[in-house]
Amino acid sequence: MGMDLGRFIKSPDFEIRITTYRDIFQVEALEHDRFGEEYKKLSAAITMSKSDLGKMGLKSGDRVRLTSNSGSVVVEVKESKRDEPGGIAFMVNSPWSNAIISGETGGKGIPEFKNIAAKISLAKEEITPLEKLVPGMQA
Amino acid sequence: MLTVMELYQLLPKTNCKKCGESTCMAFAVALLSRKRKVPECTPLLEENFKKQREKLEALLLPTAGAEETGLIVHTELCTGCGNCVVACPVDVANDPKGAAIGRAPSNDKVIFKVVEGKVVASNIKECRRFGKSKVLCYACIDPCPTGAIEFV
Amino acid sequence: MVTCTGCALLCDDIEIVVENGRIKEIRNACRRGTSRMKGCVNRLIPSIYQKPSDIDSAIRKAAEILKSAKSPMLFGFSNSTCEAQVRGIGLARKLNAMIDDTSSFCQGMLIEKVLQKKFRTCSLEDARNRADVLIYWGSDAQDSQPRHLSRFSYFPRGESRQRGYEEDRIAIAIDVRESNTAKICKGHFYRIPLKGDREFILALIDALSGKVPSYDTKKILELAGILKKAEFGMVFAGIGLTYSIKEDTGVLLTLGDLLPNFHIMPMVGHYNMRGFNESLFRETGFVNRVKFNGNVIHEDKYSILEILKEKRTDALLVIGADPLLSLPGTVVKHLSAIPVICIDPCTTLTSKIAAVTIPCAVSGVESDGTAVRMDGEVIKLSKVVENNYASDEIILNRLMEAV
Repeated sequence: MGMDLGRFIKSPDFEIRITTYRDIFQVEALEHDRFGEEYKKLSAAITMSKSDLGKMGLKSGDRVRLTSNSGSVVVEVKESKRDEPGGIAFMVNSPWSNAIISGETGGKGIPEFKNIAAKISLAKEEITPLEKLVPGMQA
Repeated sequence: MLTVMELYQLLPKTNCKKCGESTCMAFAVALLSRKRKVPECTPLLEENFKKQREKLEALLLPTAGAEETGLIVHTELCTGCGNCVVACPVDVANDPKGAAIGRAPSNDKVIFKVVEGKVVASNIKECRRFGKSKVLCYACIDPCPTGAIEFV
Repeated sequence: MVTCTGCALLCDDIEIVVENGRIKEIRNACRRGTSRMKGCVNRLIPSIYQKPSDIDSAIRKAAEILKSAKSPMLFGFSNSTCEAQVRGIGLARKLNAMIDDTSSFCQGMLIEKVLQKKFRTCSLEDARNRADVLIYWGSDAQDSQPRHLSRFSYFPRGESRQRGYEEDRIAIAIDVRESNTAKICKGHFYRIPLKGDREFILALIDALSGKVPSYDTKKILELAGILKKAEFGMVFAGIGLTYSIKEDTGVLLTLGDLLPNFHIMPMVGHYNMRGFNESLFRETGFVNRVKFNGNVIHEDKYSILEILKEKRTDALLVIGADPLLSLPGTVVKHLSAIPVICIDPCTTLTSKIAAVTIPCAVSGVESDGTAVRMDGEVIKLSKVVENNYASDEIILNRLMEAV
């Protein structure tokens, strides 16, 4: 426990780039129940390469806070199963990634879904619940 | 594809013989062919081997439903894309107007079909890996991006 | 045989076993299609201001809201039949409303170029029968159109591709991520940096015009060599590419000019997004982002994103879409400040804040009609389950009569 506490006291911020993608299992969960646990589990996550996780002192299963100019959200971090060169983090399209995506488009109508600048740090809080992400939505 | 060495590396490697096999390598071979189960290695049940035991079980568990011929579909990984249905040379030969040209199988002579979004294998005796003139065919394994098909 | 509405491949070789008015088993559809046709656990119920109501009252209330709005907007339509889409465009015209669909922040730009005949394109059957070089560019078909490779591109035998994919075809992936599609294209996976598509295209243009590309020289020259030898090439352009090059489609046109044997096909996700684009294009000359005012105005500021961000609508009808789920959180704040009318088979994030909700049938399962496949082919949808849900076409018809 002492060690864990130490991790939080330090809890440094790191600058990362995130790109979004689609995952068939998450889409399946969406079609079935977009308010369900499976959809949340497969959506509220960020995947990074092993080397990037190492550099940031994070491990698979940690909860992290992602903060951009547009918002902030707590998700789970996962280690990529692929052989990634690192430098880019991945999130599926969902309300959790949308929480940190800018609405700035230069008037062109297309947000930067594929290139999000954010800060990442270890978080004590629970994964942000869906209701908190959606203005005006009743649970 | 899962190998004997991968399994062996996770065993205690003491050749203690408690499982009844003469060496840990022999036990690994028996694990791979699903003749033995992970808990039969009693030293693995000790706390200091917990991680290795979990890893072994994760590697071996989903194959519980192996066909007698050794073909396993990990349905939890399968996306139902049908690449294997179309790429299998037996399916191509047996269903030239259906599976061979990318359409749903039009008869029951094919090996692969997709049911409820996941692939189901039947007619496994037709598979080129079995029978008298067997060949080590990878035609269903290579086109699968999620590693959902395995032969053990 | 039934048509699957899981994505814009509209696979029409699906078998469905129905028992006691419910789907018991689906055969031949992928995981994505199966989940779509099996439907959701939480069906939408009619409501007014979040209180349960009946369909008739909900439609009356919706009409009242739309009629009294100063600048109403209609949005969605990518999961509606062509028949419903045409009704929706008619409703927008009658209301002098704005209308947009999800292609506005997806593939609209590329589809517009295809409909304007600025890109050479072909049918999926042509690709299957003839294509020898297939490029998945910013497209993970394996996850978004799961049967694309097995039905139409890499794996099937085709009229002039009889020997199987290992000998007859080359599949190439260009992506920032080693997607499931890229895994299949092993040996021909070109990983590019974020937003690196334009630079990659320019390097490829150099290589194809006999210059030495400045960037990743060896790999680009190797790729250019493969492309030059192609007899019938395909570029399957995914949203990864579209988002990256945005309005700069000119570089893609130049690349197309240098590759006379290639065809470009925008990869479409939602099953009938292209249908909406084609219907609106036929009626107005534009694929999305239109305002009716007796005439037709088309401007970027009429995109759903800009309208919500600039708070320029005072009543929004959403059909078969969930903007609260799919758009940036900062943009959708305006939705809770205006009356929203939600037509959908399922409870959605948007329906939870809607002033009026109107449940409809799952098209292609509980109601029939037609849809347009990603390559422009019109495909029939069938009704396989009998129940009392009205189709979105019927609901829009009734709204049309009531406004």
